[in-house]
Amino acid sequence: MIVEVLFQGHDLEVLEKAAYRFTNKFALVITTNGDNQICALDFPADKTEEAISFTIREFKNEVLDQKLRAKIKAESEPIRNLILAHAFSKTSLIKNEQV
Amino acid sequence: MSKFEVIEFFERPSESNYQLLPFSFDRLDGEKYILTNQAGEYITMDRMYLDKFINKKLSSTSQEYIKLRSRQFLLDETNSIAPELLALKVRTKYSRLSEFTSLHIFVVSLRCEHSCPYCQVSRQSEDKSAFDMSRDVALKSLDMVFRSPAEAVKIEFQGGEPLLNFDLIKFVVAEARRRNIEFKKNLGFVIATNLALVNREILAFCKENDVLISTSLDGPRDLHNHNRPRPGKNSYEKAIEGINLAREILGKYSVSALMTTTEASLSRPIEIIDEYLAHGFNGIFLRSLSPYGFAIKTKTYRAYKTAEWLEFYKKGLDYIIQLNKQGIPFQEYYATTILVKMLTSREPGYVDLMSPSGMGIAAVVYNYDGTVHPSDESRMLAEMGDNTFKMGNVLTDTYEEIFTSEALLNPLEESITKSVPMCHECAFEPYCGSEPVYHHALHGDFVARKAESDFCSKNMAIFKLLISLMEEDPFVKSLFMRWANKT
Amino acid sequence: MIKLHSKLSLLAGENVDLGFLTITHDVNLPRSLAERSALISSDVDGIPDYFGCLLRPKGVLAGNKSTPQFLLPEDLMHLSEGDIVKIASDTLNLRVLYRRQSHQNSILLTERCNHYCLMCSQPPKNIDDSYLLDETKELVKRIPSDTHEIGFTGGEPTLYGDGFIDLIRLTKSYLPSTAIHVLSNGRAFQDIEFCRKYAAIDHHDVMVGIPIYSDDPVLHDYIVQSKGAFNETVRGILNLKSLGQRVEIRVVIHKQNAHKLVDLAEFIARNLLFVDHVALMGLEIIGFTRANMDKLWIDQFEYKDELSRAANHLKNNGMNVSIYNHQLCLVNPDIHFAYKKSISDWKNEYVDECKSCLKLNECGGFFSSAVQNRYSDNLKAFKN
Repeated sequence: MIVEVLFQGHDLEVLEKAAYRFTNKFALVITTNGDNQICALDFPADKTEEAISFTIREFKNEVLDQKLRAKIKAESEPIRNLILAHAFSKTSLIKNEQV
Repeated sequence: MSKFEVIEFFERPSESNYQLLPFSFDRLDGEKYILTNQAGEYITMDRMYLDKFINKKLSSTSQEYIKLRSRQFLLDETNSIAPELLALKVRTKYSRLSEFTSLHIFVVSLRCEHSCPYCQVSRQSEDKSAFDMSRDVALKSLDMVFRSPAEAVKIEFQGGEPLLNFDLIKFVVAEARRRNIEFKKNLGFVIATNLALVNREILAFCKENDVLISTSLDGPRDLHNHNRPRPGKNSYEKAIEGINLAREILGKYSVSALMTTTEASLSRPIEIIDEYLAHGFNGIFLRSLSPYGFAIKTKTYRAYKTAEWLEFYKKGLDYIIQLNKQGIPFQEYYATTILVKMLTSREPGYVDLMSPSGMGIAAVVYNYDGTVHPSDESRMLAEMGDNTFKMGNVLTDTYEEIFTSEALLNPLEESITKSVPMCHECAFEPYCGSEPVYHHALHGDFVARKAESDFCSKNMAIFKLLISLMEEDPFVKSLFMRWANKT
Repeated sequence: MIKLHSKLSLLAGENVDLGFLTITHDVNLPRSLAERSALISSDVDGIPDYFGCLLRPKGVLAGNKSTPQFLLPEDLMHLSEGDIVKIASDTLNLRVLYRRQSHQNSILLTERCNHYCLMCSQPPKNIDDSYLLDETKELVKRIPSDTHEIGFTGGEPTLYGDGFIDLIRLTKSYLPSTAIHVLSNGRAFQDIEFCRKYAAIDHHDVMVGIPIYSDDPVLHDYIVQSKGAFNETVRGILNLKSLGQRVEIRVVIHKQNAHKLVDLAEFIARNLLFVDHVALMGLEIIGFTRANMDKLWIDQFEYKDELSRAANHLKNNGMNVSIYNHQLCLVNPDIHFAYKKSISDWKNEYVDECKSCLKLNECGGFFSSAVQNRYSDNLKAFKN
């Protein structure tokens, strides 16, 4: 059974990452139309309507979570790499540098 | 006398804002979320605050903000030391990597007189000595062992039933100790045996050479014998007899026991734990059944489901916590392994819960025929014809060729959880592991789609369970802290 | 309470600059030692003329003509063999610089400090008191070499920079088997070069005691009244430990941080696991504390559960913990593993509630300042 969910103004990567967590629940095709993204969720035939509604709600929440994750990543990526560089460096800890 | 400033004077300036430090988050339960920082420390929080926090709307005087700052989830003008502290903890966690390989498994014989349905080795009968490790292979394997940079090295004898080739064990122990005079490593030995064939002479040797014993005890007599058929149908009796004798000669703490979970075990967690209590063990490792080898071929695996095992585990852990509340010290070792990762900056080095994977890095297996495999499971696969992970052969290849072979490096690199889909952003990633062999065997690639992986769902359920238990009960929090620190 | 200074009155002889004097009761001391000693004696005759000075308990003059003789006042009656004192020639103020019987000789290096802690027991003075450092360098040469441990304190001892390093090195030379305990805010050690110089001394047993009052940098900075203190202090600790130097974290507990002790314990266990010791200390009501009582005073009874959880958390993580300056009836039994009987003047000061207590000898006791100013409303003598 295929259910369509409409999203507006989301990053494609955000939708894909969210959908990835549900590969055991549905298969997904995303179509972009201007600012809209149409997600076609393909559920196995034996799923009840209740189960499908529940999963769709979960999916929508996951999209919101992925949005937040993208924010964290964008902001903290440089310092994350700096911390890793310090951790793996051979010298003893370098004094804190401005990023 | 100069004036004393008020606390507001020391707050971060209100015009400036805070910066997010790297962290992951996932839902724990309902509206409750778990956040983990770059060093793997966690905080739980309602989603409402999480949202505010990420959108820079969290007030700097709120309890949540102060906690997040102190645990290095954010950076502002007042805690500039945070990145250095994170770097130090990250370094501590990864410092074990340079101390590879610590566990060297010698499969001294494939022969065994038991015929356990879940066993991952061939059932060769006693007189086929074509399946014993030769001295030549043993010597070349020892060459590999002493090339390892690890300060502490453990040599573990496995099989089949290793005692069927006890002469070779004696040979390896003597030779290893001789070589160690020069290398001065912290050298340890252990024999993983069902103890059916143990006797005083064997134990005398173990005593003299500080060899430990690791054996199997699946639970009460009927369960153990059901799991472990042998001629005479007395695997349990033999095991208990062997444990008692070994303890008498080697000392109580030189003998450890491991259980294997089968479908028959799933309804009896408390009886199994009671069995361990009865025989004076201080803890138990509630293992899940590995699906490789014979298990895949037999009904055992198909009957076995992750959800049922989780019920078994929960019941077992609850019972153990209960025991501790009654003043009976008893520990669960799988939880302990995870708790070390959750509550300390140390890396427990448990092969199945490491990223990069523990294969080759934490452990390596020298098979009776000289082939080298990065883990027990991958050896199973090779026995069944899948040589994806075979690193080489001690008889024909050098240390460099073996330990830098593509068969090892590819899965290591491709399965690092910090760079695979879903895992890299998972809040539980610091506590989890890579398991490329499992995923290859069941899903066809080193990583698989984690939403479909039982390894993933099982571990996530346990992580959530442990955290919930700690959040709800201060006794459990303190107990778990002591388990994690061996205090 | 033992007084460590008092004004003397000159009874006879010339008032000259006597330098360091070692207290003795031994009239037969060899001349070379007697010349730098102060003899406590009531004898009138038979005292050689070469003693540095005479201290007269009852004010009765000895027959010596030229030796300076002073009345030994009541509050210096505790002076005993081997103590080292100095008498200021202008004010006749006698300072006790070293007490042979004490297990914790603490030497003040300076009253200058770059912090201004709300509960400071030695309020900072912005003066040049480097004479104290010079004096200490001389004192160290006089201290008996079998002394177990000495402490260097202030103010902030590291403000002397290289002078501080020199002192430690000198102390190692003259007292090679004496342990040293330095009290410092640790910030100077954030300079890795300074830290290296310190490590290069390679002392066999020196520990720096560094306070951290909270895991929250804002609260810590507020308590020590210095912006950026937390970061620099922690960086100093990291540097010291990276060079293998011994560090103790000291936590004075009061109203500002008592209910956050567990958070601090968790922070220390997770981030500073490698420090050598953690000292959890009760508040002493002297110095600035009196002026800040409204911000600082808390009955120890009120935070005993947090203290239990914090101390046990540190212990469960394998850390060494000690608890000082708390009364035994105000703590839970589960911290007895860390409890230290720490206040040395117990025998002289106690309060009525304690008269009948069976555990007097095990208790840490009170600071005399507590007896005078404020102590717990919840004291309860142990009956059987």
